[in-house]
Amino acid sequence: MLEGPQKITWCTGCGNFGILAALKKAIIEIDQPLHNMVLTSGIGCSSKIPHYIGGMNSFHTLHGRPIPYATGVHLANTDLKVLVHTGDGDCLAEGLGHFIHAARRNVNLAVFIHNNGVNGLTKGQYSPSAPRGYVSNTSPPPPGAPMDPVSPTALAIVAGATFVARGFSGDQKSLVTLMKEAINHTGFAVVDILQPCVTWNRLLTWKYYNEHTYSLQENGHDVTDRQRALEIAMKNEDRYPVGIFYHSKHADLAAGLALPEKSKLRDHTNELKDVQKIIDDLML
Amino acid sequence: MDISFNIGGEAGQGIDTIGDLLTQVFVQAGFYTFTIKDFESRIRGGYNFTQIRVSDKPVHTSVDQVDVIIALSRDAVVNQRERLAESGVIIFDNAVEFDDLEACHYPAPLEKIAKEIGGDTRMMNAAALGAVLSILNFPFRLAQEALMGIFGRKGEKVVASNVNVAKTLYDMTKENFAGTCKYNLETLESGPCKDRLLITGNRALALGAIAANLKWISAYPMSPSTSLFQDVISYSQQFKIGALQTEDEISSLAMAIGASYAGARSMVATSGGGFALMVEALGFAAMVEVPVVIYNAQRPGPSTGLPTRTEQSDLLFMGFASQGEFPRIMLAPKDPLEAFDVATRAFNLAEKYQVPVMILGDQYFADSVMNVPRIDVSTVTVDRGKLAKTGPSPEFKRYLFTDDGVSPRAFPGDEGKTIVSAGNVHREDGHITEDATIRNLMVQKFMNKIPRILADLNPPQLYGDKKAETTLMTWGSTWGAANEAMELLAEKGVSINQLHFCDVFPLRTEKLRETFKKSKRVIAVEQNATSQFAALIRMETGLGVNQHINKYDGRAMTPGWIIGKLKEGGVV
Repeated sequence: MLEGPQKITWCTGCGNFGILAALKKAIIEIDQPLHNMVLTSGIGCSSKIPHYIGGMNSFHTLHGRPIPYATGVHLANTDLKVLVHTGDGDCLAEGLGHFIHAARRNVNLAVFIHNNGVNGLTKGQYSPSAPRGYVSNTSPPPPGAPMDPVSPTALAIVAGATFVARGFSGDQKSLVTLMKEAINHTGFAVVDILQPCVTWNRLLTWKYYNEHTYSLQENGHDVTDRQRALEIAMKNEDRYPVGIFYHSKHADLAAGLALPEKSKLRDHTNELKDVQKIIDDLML
Repeated sequence: MDISFNIGGEAGQGIDTIGDLLTQVFVQAGFYTFTIKDFESRIRGGYNFTQIRVSDKPVHTSVDQVDVIIALSRDAVVNQRERLAESGVIIFDNAVEFDDLEACHYPAPLEKIAKEIGGDTRMMNAAALGAVLSILNFPFRLAQEALMGIFGRKGEKVVASNVNVAKTLYDMTKENFAGTCKYNLETLESGPCKDRLLITGNRALALGAIAANLKWISAYPMSPSTSLFQDVISYSQQFKIGALQTEDEISSLAMAIGASYAGARSMVATSGGGFALMVEALGFAAMVEVPVVIYNAQRPGPSTGLPTRTEQSDLLFMGFASQGEFPRIMLAPKDPLEAFDVATRAFNLAEKYQVPVMILGDQYFADSVMNVPRIDVSTVTVDRGKLAKTGPSPEFKRYLFTDDGVSPRAFPGDEGKTIVSAGNVHREDGHITEDATIRNLMVQKFMNKIPRILADLNPPQLYGDKKAETTLMTWGSTWGAANEAMELLAEKGVSINQLHFCDVFPLRTEKLRETFKKSKRVIAVEQNATSQFAALIRMETGLGVNQHINKYDGRAMTPGWIIGKLKEGGVV
């Protein structure tokens, strides 16, 4: 089941393998009809994932744009579970505006950010999540990357996302759990997934993440405390908390739109007689 | 009878309401009307006008000469005075300070009477209506009926107050102004026109889209497209149409494509600047063969240009937007009546061929109001194109290679089928590839659609004498002005006809070639500086036009202006 239709093109040792494995496991454990799931993605190494997992509907879209495409898919058929796989270069650069507005709308999507601090597929330029001082082809020293990184978790919390978490590709067990919770959550769910780029990123390595991550839940974090969640998310230090930052319930976007109550937009029909009535009422 | 009214004033003064009232009075009395709106990009102040033409014959354009000016500000007199017909009338609110009166001008106490008799300065609209109708000696009974029709829903009291205000001005005007105006419509009972649907281009498109089973619209507000989006939203609860104002136009088209991929008929509405942001999504829609309808209400560019004015200068931009090569369809309705039909065709064409369909309107088309016959929706058909058989099909290939280039569609959620779509070059199953053979087959698949699309599009229409020496060539909303110019000249014995295109791309060339062959002189009449449609024709056929008439000041064309240009060019 879920066997990939195409040969994987990621580099040996790539952090994406851990995400793919966790995704397959999460989907199997969720045990919902596969035809009601859609895997959307943008552009980059992260976004090739639809081609490495079989039997799933998928929509491999444009750089930075998977969230708006996924929003349209979801609203046309709210029975679908719509997943977004995106990268830091994808979601936090070209896609940052969409990301914030989607969080604000609390649109029912599960967004998984494959976060490795580099634009990998374009060969190693610094991404918006690269730490200040990070040296790459486009951020030579001194000073390296001349700005602080984007924090997807902090932005998501501030913007209104109702499930915000961080996972690590090297911690399968907790990543599977986070993915399942994100998929089952009704509302905008974000999982920022730390994932080493073994080819380009000499700083954020497997070893580094293994040594610099710690579990939020094991440290007694209250996931309903938005202020505290934001404080943790905004800490720009070299220790990375992993787990659920924030989890709440709030009306999602679909609840506020004029969608059919008993069916889906895709199956719904505008009655011609009602259109005729509007026209006739407009007549003088 | 052919009278034009120009109602001018500041934004926010209610000139639209006076215009609506007048139009409705004349429509109810059985006349043809055509109204244009000329306004500035501001919320209050400035100088705006509504111009209404009333005739006992069908009219599709405004004209240069104005017979009655209703001025609510000084600018409304100053800016229009030169266009006033001989023995025309200027009515202005006597609260406006103005020391430059001419014999025919009537300072009317509009605001004063509205306040004193109606108790509300907003009834200035009814006051102006009373004054105008009195000047024309128009039977007050008809005005009363119209006011009842318009304000009836607001209750008897509102109707009575408005009627009182109108009647006061009507009588007062008669006393002070009798006989000074050449128009006398006293004997007018009712005109020949039975067309009672007053509608703008944008509203007709919106209703056409809803009739065509539009289920998703996403847009970012942009003049002059916004009224279409607002209209659809106003009906969204009733019909259950998903509608969202997005963060930008990039997101608008992305969401619409997403919704269409999942099976809902979708559209976006914007103007040229917004379309610029949609270009990457346009190419994506083409690559994943997801149908979508894009409406561009054009305005003068580049950049912000003239936000509330008109131009036809996005034709080539839309025709060639995006990297790569793929089929697309472009339709340019000439007026509100055609717009309804164009909207329903657009969705069917988009789904039948799984291509983006673009509707090109412009501010003139979008905001112009005319009365048309009742639109009968019973003829609307929904053709969703090739759909895959329901039921499990593990071998389903969304991008199956077929003879006509169109693969049967299925949607995520359909049991037993996997729908895979990607913006990369892809195999029949939708997964990405760099294989050269598949790349060639995929491009050929796209191109194979074009001959069938062409056969499904309408050829241009030839108006007037088929054997005429001179041909005016138009597309989209400039049809009306050119058509009237052509008819006026033909009546005077000029050998002239008009070749008009609604379906502008891909280009059907049979009738075009025939007309170019027969005509001694083809003149492109376009609301742009570079005759973009003529350029497209040259590119597609090698045929060149003989002369060009171009207007790019953002203001509507008129028959008189076109005839003037033809005179300058030595044609007449």
